[in-house]
Amino acid sequence: MFRLPLAGLLLSLVLLAAPAVSSAREHLQVYITAPYLELRSGPGRGYPVFHVAERDESVQVLFRRTDWFKVRTERGVEGWAAQRDMLRTVLADGTPFKFDLGDRAGFTSHNFEMGIFAGEYSGSTLVSTYASYSLNSQLAVELSVGEFFGKYSNGVVGDLGLTHVLVPEWRFSPFLMLGTGLVHVTPKATLVIPSDRTDQTAYVGGGVRYYLTRRFFVRAEYKSHVVFTKRNANEEVDEWKLGFAFFF
Amino acid sequence: METGIRVLLLTAVLMTLPGCASVRNWFHHRSEVRQQKAEAKEEAAQQDAQAAAADADATPPRVVDPEVERRKIKVPHIRSSNIEIGINDGFISIEDFGTNNAYGLTAAYHITEDFFFQGEYGRAYAGRTSFETLGGNIQLLTSAERQFTYYDISLGYNFLPGETFIGRGHALTTAFYFLGGIGATKFAGDDRFTVNFGGGYRVLPSDWLAIHIQVQDRVFRTDLLGVSKLTNNMEASLGATVFF
Repeated sequence: MFRLPLAGLLLSLVLLAAPAVSSAREHLQVYITAPYLELRSGPGRGYPVFHVAERDESVQVLFRRTDWFKVRTERGVEGWAAQRDMLRTVLADGTPFKFDLGDRAGFTSHNFEMGIFAGEYSGSTLVSTYASYSLNSQLAVELSVGEFFGKYSNGVVGDLGLTHVLVPEWRFSPFLMLGTGLVHVTPKATLVIPSDRTDQTAYVGGGVRYYLTRRFFVRAEYKSHVVFTKRNANEEVDEWKLGFAFFF
Repeated sequence: METGIRVLLLTAVLMTLPGCASVRNWFHHRSEVRQQKAEAKEEAAQQDAQAAAADADATPPRVVDPEVERRKIKVPHIRSSNIEIGINDGFISIEDFGTNNAYGLTAAYHITEDFFFQGEYGRAYAGRTSFETLGGNIQLLTSAERQFTYYDISLGYNFLPGETFIGRGHALTTAFYFLGGIGATKFAGDDRFTVNFGGGYRVLPSDWLAIHIQVQDRVFRTDLLGVSKLTNNMEASLGATVFF
């Protein structure tokens, strides 16, 4: 019943946000030092080149999508210029135009990281995702959430902790983790005691990350959780997972 | 259990050792930087004084003192537009339960021109099985259990980029994309691990708006009808997204 109004509401939100996205603002002006600057019709190497701006002409940098810059020439032509071409432009005072490249250097030191994992939590299949914020190139605060699907119970896990990358410069770099979290377990209805429970956990762990290309890396990790149950004995749970991640 | 805690504490201690090495710098580093700055300033002041003294000796005082100030260029922040958020509506064929309307939300982050991550959340309402239809009054599931909700996190790959033309003056950029990911489906009172894969076609009428046609298969294992089997649930949808 509420579906239509909800969809309508979302659509109007989207439409409301749209003009804000395309609103006018002050743009950076850069000058071309290469013989020419190719403009493509879309942000990708597969889109055709439809215009060329000459040396010493200036272009306005409107915005950026992945490794492409939307620019406007002096004659008002708008198109997409590649990141490697924009490296050969200068600011009005002659200094080179610098921006975040999203390369190997970024793997060593970056602000944010996000990724998705598949794995195992105490023998159950696990789907999980994480986001981290780097305090410096070695230490990061990390939040991860996941859901696991077992034979006898399902559940959700949430962890908050610190990650310490031992040698950030290495392509294949190990890291350690320490933190705390919550686990909510929903036993399947066929069991004798079908009551949900939420417990606090603490974990230590370690893993490796391997830089693939651009902003991508593979990440494999192991966490050893101690679940502080309300029963007499605490539980120990192993978590293994492997996934893709990217930094920005 | 005690071994676990002991291992935990031991690892904690071990972890803090190298960790401290990097944290320590925050405080020390700041004072060092401050000191370096002060030294640099002093040096510059001394050099200025020397240069001024040298100037005074060498050249006579100028009649006109040109006041040329170098224009300082403030580099405005370049907006990144990599996030795509939107809604979709379509159909999902829930295995054994007929084809039903499905609708959902999507969010994507474009990492490179080729790859993107996409998260989806959707809902549908499962219809009746053939068994229920033929059997008259039989109800396999309650109304609440028929609610079919799913989410997934997928990796997408753009291929076949191109343009589509409307009349003489308009060209819209387009791309096909593959999707593959993992997630969960809540159906018939149980959450199930779900693998999804498929593809889509994206048309961009403008830089901030995209129209999607997407087809995906959501595969999960269920023993709802007595035997444990993999079910394929094909979904086709039309969506609109906005780039931020």
